[in-house]
Amino acid sequence: MHKEGVEGYEYYVGINSLSELATKEDRVVVLNMLGKESSGVTPVSHVYSGGNIVFGTGPGKSGKSLPTKIGNIPCYNSIKEGLAAGHKFNTVVVYLPPSGVKDGVAEAVRENPDLKKVIVITEKVSVKDQRTIRAICQSNGIDLFGGNCLGLADAWNEVRIGGALGGSNPEESLLKGSIAIYSNSGNFTTTIAVYLSTQGWGTTTSVSSGKDIYIQYGPKEFFPALNNDDRSKAAVLYCEPGGYYEQDLDLKKPLVACVVGRWKAKLTKACGHAGSLAGSGDDAEAKEKWFMDYFGVDGIYTPENPKFTKKGALVTNIAHIPEALTRVMDANGIKPDFEPTGNLALKPWFGNNQGLSLPAELDLPIVEAMAPYNEQIKQLDKQVGAQFSRETLKDTSGASMMDPKTQVSKIHGASILDATKYSFESNLVFALTKQRPEEYGEKLANLVLNMHVNQHGQPTLVAAQAARDNGNSPNTVFSSAVAILGKKAVQKELEAASALLDLFQLTPLKNPSEDFDYKDVLKEAANHKDSLLASGEDPCAPKMLEWMSSVPGGKSVFFKFLSDFGKEQGGTVSKEAIFAATWVTLGWNSLKTKKISKDTLVNLSWYSRIYSLMVGVAAPAEKHQEGSFCGVKFEDMCGFSFTKTAFLSLMGREPSEKELFEFQVLLGLIITNGPGTISAQGSKGAVSADGPEQPSRVQINKSFIGFLTHTGFAHGGNGYEAAAYLIKLFKDTSLKDPADANHGLDLEKIAMDAASDYGAYKKKQKELGNLDYGKIPCVNHPVFKGKDVNLDPREEFVSSLFKEKGIYNVFLDFYHNLVQGLFKTKVSKNVYCVNVDAVIAVILLKMVWADFKAGNLPESEIENASFATFLFGRMIGCAAEIDDHMNRGKNMDTRTPASKCVYVG
Amino acid sequence: MQLTGMLWGRKLLDLVEFPHSEVRGPELSVDEIKDMIKRHGQVFIKPVFKGGVGKKGKAGLMGRVDNISDALKEKERLYFATHQFGNVTAKASGVTYEGAVPAKYEVYFSIADNTRYRAPTMTITHHGGVDIEELPPEKIKEVPFDPLTGLKAFHVANALEELGAPTELISPLVQNLPKLWDLYNNYGMLMLELNPIRMSNAKGRLSPVACDFKCMFDQDDPAWKRLNLPGHLFSDDASEFEQEINQLRTYQGQSDVYVMNDQGTITAPTFGGGANAMVTELLGEDATISSDFGGNPPYAKMNDISRITFKYWLEQSNVLFIIGGKANNTDIYETFRAIGDGLKSHFQKHGPKPLYVVVGRGGPNLIRGMGYLRDILDSLNIPYRFFGFDSAMSEVINYALKVNEWMKNGGKEEIMAKMGG
Repeated sequence: MHKEGVEGYEYYVGINSLSELATKEDRVVVLNMLGKESSGVTPVSHVYSGGNIVFGTGPGKSGKSLPTKIGNIPCYNSIKEGLAAGHKFNTVVVYLPPSGVKDGVAEAVRENPDLKKVIVITEKVSVKDQRTIRAICQSNGIDLFGGNCLGLADAWNEVRIGGALGGSNPEESLLKGSIAIYSNSGNFTTTIAVYLSTQGWGTTTSVSSGKDIYIQYGPKEFFPALNNDDRSKAAVLYCEPGGYYEQDLDLKKPLVACVVGRWKAKLTKACGHAGSLAGSGDDAEAKEKWFMDYFGVDGIYTPENPKFTKKGALVTNIAHIPEALTRVMDANGIKPDFEPTGNLALKPWFGNNQGLSLPAELDLPIVEAMAPYNEQIKQLDKQVGAQFSRETLKDTSGASMMDPKTQVSKIHGASILDATKYSFESNLVFALTKQRPEEYGEKLANLVLNMHVNQHGQPTLVAAQAARDNGNSPNTVFSSAVAILGKKAVQKELEAASALLDLFQLTPLKNPSEDFDYKDVLKEAANHKDSLLASGEDPCAPKMLEWMSSVPGGKSVFFKFLSDFGKEQGGTVSKEAIFAATWVTLGWNSLKTKKISKDTLVNLSWYSRIYSLMVGVAAPAEKHQEGSFCGVKFEDMCGFSFTKTAFLSLMGREPSEKELFEFQVLLGLIITNGPGTISAQGSKGAVSADGPEQPSRVQINKSFIGFLTHTGFAHGGNGYEAAAYLIKLFKDTSLKDPADANHGLDLEKIAMDAASDYGAYKKKQKELGNLDYGKIPCVNHPVFKGKDVNLDPREEFVSSLFKEKGIYNVFLDFYHNLVQGLFKTKVSKNVYCVNVDAVIAVILLKMVWADFKAGNLPESEIENASFATFLFGRMIGCAAEIDDHMNRGKNMDTRTPASKCVYVG
Repeated sequence: MQLTGMLWGRKLLDLVEFPHSEVRGPELSVDEIKDMIKRHGQVFIKPVFKGGVGKKGKAGLMGRVDNISDALKEKERLYFATHQFGNVTAKASGVTYEGAVPAKYEVYFSIADNTRYRAPTMTITHHGGVDIEELPPEKIKEVPFDPLTGLKAFHVANALEELGAPTELISPLVQNLPKLWDLYNNYGMLMLELNPIRMSNAKGRLSPVACDFKCMFDQDDPAWKRLNLPGHLFSDDASEFEQEINQLRTYQGQSDVYVMNDQGTITAPTFGGGANAMVTELLGEDATISSDFGGNPPYAKMNDISRITFKYWLEQSNVLFIIGGKANNTDIYETFRAIGDGLKSHFQKHGPKPLYVVVGRGGPNLIRGMGYLRDILDSLNIPYRFFGFDSAMSEVINYALKVNEWMKNGGKEEIMAKMGG
């Protein structure tokens, strides 16, 4: 039941030569032309082929058209309508959904007696429909291709019919030559063509056969057509397991066959190509054998072991095709079509080790991509800094998260437990640049942070002290000062940072410590004179520049640049520019590796000033003197770590080495509790209200005030409860030095007594019917409970860290005794954990104990110190939150819709 | 999607009124089993497996009993029997009781779409009851036929005649076998096999009785859904991951996945059937999954695929390997954006994990896509190398394998330290 076609077949085949497959004369109709897939691919095919598509169809789409560079392709409701409009065609390309394919083909066959070729691009056409379509085409004398294929392309005729062979630039991959390609994989059809060109082989006709169970145009049709095509001197065939299409071949030209898919024998269902599920006789090994028998070779061709004859070679890796083909063709005395266009060696176009030193075999240097991709990459590199897509950031953060399981929070993906190992300054920089500064970077940060701690003679100090004198809590005191540090106060720094950004952003400079020739930048820099040079003489500035330039352990191209620029212009570089250059140095690599945005880089100076201000005003006004802070001279303090300065400001004295470490741990622990914590919500709300979609409108100092107003005696001051509890228990003891393990106290007894007292209190309160009785602060935890012995992993971490460093804390020791005591006295059913808040309290109390015992520090001040410490630590997390919200958030995105609000009055 | 055994096979055969042996399920009481033995003389007890499970008889997974004591023993033996065939281990869940059909002849019959003929093809022999592969070719007849007209009586008659089958067989088979084409064609089957069909002489003349049943459905043909078969029959075919991905299966964009090694350490979203074949072959046991996500999936679908894939496999993976050839129409920007965003949100949700990303790709919007992914990896501190289509895919795969080895030998820890974890 088939029409007569080419002789020698028991079924209909109309194509006698590959040159007839995709010709300039073919006129094409595309079914479902305006669908997503076709509307991308069809215009390219149409233009490449010189306008071979006469019309498309789409039910209800009559009157519409598909625009292409060489004119619109009209669309009709049906083929009948298109024919009635006078169009003629011999080829149909089917982009219909699977369920519509059979009907579409039936319509085309019935309406157009001139139809000769049908190409089904659609994937997942049912087998039933495929066999039916085949039968229809057979009985009407039509050549059928696909489904699930990419159709046909002819590099000689510059015609492609069907899908997207050669992609969006067919001429780039389909180079004219002498090799015909037949491939089960549409992608590999193009990829093989590209690979062939590396050894100088171009193509004639390329056939993407598809790899469904039915392959409608198979090798048994392809090879005789190859034999009859004078242009094709050889062929490459790519096939996979399943089906007997490649058995018993008859061809007269050399062939390289690539069979891939031995592993598919393990499959129990199809994956990838639907037809690649083999039985026992048509798996990959069986197919390899068919080809080896045909070629007369006893093995697979590999570069190490090249097995081939004049008839051809079998490969199992498509990368070996070009070489195998060249060898086979050489044996036949046939030279490549053109000069080789490259090679297939590994050529990474992009790469980043992220600071790791990789083994040499992995650390492949980046190579310039081939044209035109190299130009595209250059364009891409002009996009500097991270660009975040904006989204509603209510209760959401790109900076912090809390793992609900471990209760350990993270900032920029790093655990706060890890953060305790880093200095305060390192964490402050990390919060904004998302990259830890190296030792040199920390030194720079210390200098610029310490530079603005002393607020002597500044309105900020007056405001802070007035707030303090009127009985405000530390957060309110800080807010009063921070409110004054508006944008104008840092305008010059911001302008200088912007200037440096403008000048260097498109240069290849990635790391400011590398040698870099900024000759060209200097020429441009004159435009930024006002931003970088002081308006008059500034005797301090050259000293400052020299100072910054001589920081040991590294260098920054920005300082050197400023110095040269000043000389060239005959002016003095401003202090603000040097300050900005320091922060640009600290943030530059993060900018260039797209961790941070340009806005963040420019704003770093502003954050820095706020950091310094908050640490500064923690100390009362009298501690700020001209040239000294808390009794430490400015020059000396510049050599301090910022952690030490923060301690100095809080305690009014310098810490011991161990105290400094404990303080650092303490600050690290309180960085963040995720975006849900009130302080984070306050920061985010403040940014949201300013409108982050215009980042320049966001007042960073006001955002810090948002954070500060969202702390208070309950959130931030609560560490004091534990301190107060401990003071009650220990103030009348002989304890002098909480760091001394030989304190002479019977901690177990104190704990047992405390536990018994609490047990009695609890019992009494219950008897009174008061279920809201007071709890011992800092023991037990809603998550870490229920086991015989419970541990808060954060407290456990810090305890072991201190143990490792030989640091003892009597109060922490007591707390461990206390939870045992509570269990032993049957107040608790199991051993409670000592939670992380206890750690905060005991470190703090230890720091102030000597002063407290000596009567130098009233109990009320301990509460303030506790609160201010919390603010220092949380300042790190909230800075990250503010910056994140500014970069990612939307205007007013923290508001709650009225529909979700509840009235309970 | 395969069905084997008579428990469900009989229901399908009833649809076309093809006779079959009496088959009862695991719910049968002792009295009912006794009654069956009484009526049939012998009863076959077979384990019930889900999906396609072959060679049960050869593995001794069949009981043939003529008394209740043996029946109960066999029931106990086979009820939760385990069957290993090829790479697959199947566990039974229940048994069937099938009345024995005394017969002189056993017939093998199947219909499948045969790639040699590119047509539906009947395979038949009257030397059935054995593995068809064990028979010499002259004892088997393959008959391709026109799908537009279907399997006809004359196909069966001619085939049996050519095989030299006893004439008494021909008429009953000619009357009954063409019915099976309706079952095959109307319910989206890719293969239907009855072996054996025993030629019963119970009513004084031969009549075919199907005694075993096997069929495979075409996943792309919704016709099988008309059978209202319970979903659990096919659930064993797919892992949880595969099932979740399969829900995204639409014609636009492939979403084929197969779990290769649930202990693997390279997760490779692969684009294109060819790449799928090659990548999985070369990655071997290192691969967690084999996949084909090509076919220009839209952003939302690719993002869903990434999310699910990362959920199942990222934690154990050392290398995320995004690989394909030079795409023809898959938009690299859209797919890489979807994968990159998926990776980012995975990190946001679950925290950072040490990972190395290797990419090998070509196609439309390539640089834009690579640029987008690069920025995400930089922001997540993930080391990477991206190769264009001018690097041999096999070499890129080898590179990914080398990275995996390095990761296993301390690289992971080095990355984690850099990530600050």
